[in-house]
Amino acid sequence: MCSCWVVLAFCCLGQLCADQSLKPQIAAPQLATNNPTLTTVALEKPFCMFDSSLHPNKSYIIYLYAMKESASVISSLVMDNSGKPLDSTFQQTSGGQLGPYKAALFDVPNCASPPRLADIGDVNKVSDVLKQYLFRVGDDGTCLYDPNFLAVCNPPLAPDTTYRFKYVLLDSTEGIMKDQTLWSDPIKTRRVKLPLKIDTWPGRRSGDMIVITTILSVLVFLLLAGFFASVSSAVM
Amino acid sequence: MAKSDDGMRILQGLLVFGNVVIGMCGIALTAECIFFVTDPHGLYSLLEATENDDIYAAAWIGIFVGFALFALSILGIIGVLKSNRTLLLVYIILMLITYAFEMASCITAATQRDFLTPNLFLKQMLERYNKSDTDNNNDKWMTEGVTKTWDKLMLQNHCCGVRGPSDWQEYTSAFRIRHKDADYPWPHNCCVMDAQGSPVNLDGCKLGVPGYYNSNGCYDAISGPMNTQAWGVAWFGFAILCWTFCVLLGTMFYWSRIEY
Repeated sequence: MCSCWVVLAFCCLGQLCADQSLKPQIAAPQLATNNPTLTTVALEKPFCMFDSSLHPNKSYIIYLYAMKESASVISSLVMDNSGKPLDSTFQQTSGGQLGPYKAALFDVPNCASPPRLADIGDVNKVSDVLKQYLFRVGDDGTCLYDPNFLAVCNPPLAPDTTYRFKYVLLDSTEGIMKDQTLWSDPIKTRRVKLPLKIDTWPGRRSGDMIVITTILSVLVFLLLAGFFASVSSAVM
Repeated sequence: MAKSDDGMRILQGLLVFGNVVIGMCGIALTAECIFFVTDPHGLYSLLEATENDDIYAAAWIGIFVGFALFALSILGIIGVLKSNRTLLLVYIILMLITYAFEMASCITAATQRDFLTPNLFLKQMLERYNKSDTDNNNDKWMTEGVTKTWDKLMLQNHCCGVRGPSDWQEYTSAFRIRHKDADYPWPHNCCVMDAQGSPVNLDGCKLGVPGYYNSNGCYDAISGPMNTQAWGVAWFGFAILCWTFCVLLGTMFYWSRIEY
């Protein structure tokens, strides 16, 4: 099990699966079993996806863009004419309906020493491993309604909707986009059913109940018959 | 006449023995039903909220029937030993009434058990757990009972939902109305807890990382005790009634043979 996860980690870091086009991937299903949920999607961070574009002496930052799949006919551009990435927010794009919005920014993940997924079992290390390995889109339920919130807002997504995601690498000093991944495969959030629709009819009667009822009914009948027989024989 | 006298003696002996067994079984039935009524697993609130708590009604009837059987068996022993027609007639009539009650208890327990399906508890859990706006006092009482019982169940049995934690994700619920999915994909009691009673790792629990959330359902923990109760009342009662049937027939025969 542990070796399987380590191999999976390496595979997804692009070393073994060389033919895979670079797109954001959903987090490993053995690790994040509850994914995607109703309003969140956990994505793997872009390990080793931008290595060819990194220069050793510069500092980089990664932006994550999210949009509804239906928005791709309207606009799927993440940068403006001068090569600077868009600063669109969730509210401006109506939750990704009119175009991509910036959902997160974080440092470039360490390709040389990726987090060991086998460390998940250790309670002290699990927070760090999760933080380094994946990012949960839709995690912050309060930033939309907080007027003092100044960072990048990552509000919950809409249920039963297909989303696509993209990572963009940019140089933090110049603020210009250096590299980007393709748009991810469409990922759909869960859909809920109403509890009213649950059928609580028990179906067939169990055999035990039928046995008890029939046998007891017969016995009661026999008892009453015996009682009347003995009373009538005593009267006569 | 010596032979029939001998026969009557044997019948007397058998009837006394039969009544002794009925008396002891009556006490056992009372004890068993008192045990069930005290609800050691704390599941009564779930049944009360389904408005389908007749297996408890069956247990209550069982308590009184058991005691009545014990008292009547003593009356029967005295009546048989004294060969008193009046006493035995009273015994037979009262026994028939008790028989009817016990029969009702057995059939109720067996029938109502069929209604307790996973879907019933699932629907109730989704509609009542953590419901915030209740219509009246009765609704509030039932909602509080269901919420407390589920919290206790999930903590003690390390389980989540009826079939699994996915119940909370597949269906909308009163819980979902109150808590956002991003913060609470399922109740925090579904998370593996540390010694202080808080989740070991909340992010791990929310994401469903194995080892940080309870992945099995609570249905076994609910249906196990309820099955034991229903079958215990139904089948033990049935066994007592079969034995009582024989003793009653013998008593009626004996009664009809007593000379004034």
